[in-house]
Amino acid sequence: MSDRKIVLVACGTAVATSTVVANSIEEEMSARGINVETRQCKVTEVPSLVDGVDLVVSTTPLPSNLPKPAIVTLAFLTGIGRDQEIEKIAGILTGKAAGAN
Amino acid sequence: MDGFLVGLKQVIDALGATVLLPVIIIIIALVLGAKTGKAIRAGVTIGVAFIGINLVIGLMFTNLSDVAQAIATNTGVTRDVVDVGWPSSAAIAFGSSVGLWIIPVAIIVNVVLLMTGMTRTLNVDVWNFWHMAFVGSLVVAATGSLPMGIATSAVMAAVALFFADWSAKRVQKFYGLPGVSVPHILSVQILPIAMGVNWVIERIPGLRDIDLSTDTIQKRFGVLGEPMILGLVIGIILGLIGFWDPSNLPEMTTKVLKTGINLAAVMVLLPRMVKILMEGLIPISDAARTFVQKRAGTREIHIGLDSAILIGHPAAISASLLLVPIAIVLEIILPGNRVILFADLAVIPFFIALAAPIVNGNVLRMVIIGTITLTLGFYCATSLAALFTQAAVSSGFDIPSNATQITAIGDGFVWITWVSVFLTKALGYLGVAILAILTAIGIVILKRSQVDDAATDETPKTTSM
Repeated sequence: MSDRKIVLVACGTAVATSTVVANSIEEEMSARGINVETRQCKVTEVPSLVDGVDLVVSTTPLPSNLPKPAIVTLAFLTGIGRDQEIEKIAGILTGKAAGAN
Repeated sequence: MDGFLVGLKQVIDALGATVLLPVIIIIIALVLGAKTGKAIRAGVTIGVAFIGINLVIGLMFTNLSDVAQAIATNTGVTRDVVDVGWPSSAAIAFGSSVGLWIIPVAIIVNVVLLMTGMTRTLNVDVWNFWHMAFVGSLVVAATGSLPMGIATSAVMAAVALFFADWSAKRVQKFYGLPGVSVPHILSVQILPIAMGVNWVIERIPGLRDIDLSTDTIQKRFGVLGEPMILGLVIGIILGLIGFWDPSNLPEMTTKVLKTGINLAAVMVLLPRMVKILMEGLIPISDAARTFVQKRAGTREIHIGLDSAILIGHPAAISASLLLVPIAIVLEIILPGNRVILFADLAVIPFFIALAAPIVNGNVLRMVIIGTITLTLGFYCATSLAALFTQAAVSSGFDIPSNATQITAIGDGFVWITWVSVFLTKALGYLGVAILAILTAIGIVILKRSQVDDAATDETPKTTSM
């Protein structure tokens, strides 16, 4: 689909914490009718994978000056402040949809 | 009734991790309050993950054994303990007899220690319970006693919480993560070594004033941070050492390049397979978090998370990039070492991340501390290799019994694993008791110092500023 949004989810391994985040984002965004695809990677891979994604979400510090919007958050792991982060992500993704199309 | 139980035991023994663990996971998920559909999906996902992991381990093991053998014949250096990576360890641990018990056991230990005020950490990182189960599974391999393995794992759960509490203030300050601690055995193991080595460096004029620039390191060595490229490069290097034969260039080139691409494949595929395991665990981990948070009360607690959240820090990245070539040199020159590193060259950031708050992010010091800890690790891993391999076989992984042995940095390189296995193997339950008492002493001393801290108004006590 043309309006599919791609979220790059990064953590230390691309295995554990990023899977929790990616699953949460997929669930919550599809509940809001936002068509989203998540890709997981190690934080050291972000610079080479960042092209072609709409948003980067990470559980660990990201390199500065990424060319895309980026969020570093632990909310999906601790459960604290989770709803605000989801709203923020939804906002970025839908805002972009309006701008791009 | 007895006949039924014997029959049941036969079925259970024959099923193995791919069927038994899913069943257990479904039960635990239901007990913790997950919905039936979600619980079943979680269980089946975990069974599928095990089949995937076994496939990739097979691919990796065939390739690495060939290379290790070729290196031995070509150079006369014996490196017959192959590093199959922490994802394999996690699968071995969750697939072991201890792994079936670890989730309830670690949760009970955490709740009891929280209620008695012995810890401030609420460990919601259910995924990393595998470290505790891993130590337990080696104990079972060493002693043949499942209860002793479970008891050791329970102590490991307490050890993880102790180190998490101990490092909490520094981690929170250095990494800017309020309310978080890291009960991650692979990461906390470096804390005492880092403190000791840092104390020595502080007393060496010249050395104590040097730091390295993280930007330059990341620019020069950045590709080593990408597992696929790392796998390719390491594969080609190992291939060149093993298959070096200028008299037959075409064959050598084919073998070297094939090794490179196969090992690159492993680096990509192994984490993907383990990710499936993680996906299966998410409903459990969500349910467990709610379950424990409800019972933890309102006092000040740290949320215990995976050290994956620390790995993006420039100091952690830079130091691990430098430690990759250092580790390769170490494995060649260390006398008596039998380990050849591969998959876990990618896990070095986890191995050293908690040194960063101790040395205030000084990359050179992290590299020195990392080198010392890795050196120690090579000997722990060499010594534990037989048990590691045996544990893998017990968990249903296909390892040819007469060939190479296996290990991994996570957690074969961890001194905590070695000490625990050594004590229980030599002393049995007395060994478990000694571990428990040492942990309890640590907890009491820590509690005292925290009281002092509170009295002196929380002056941050960083050793190097």
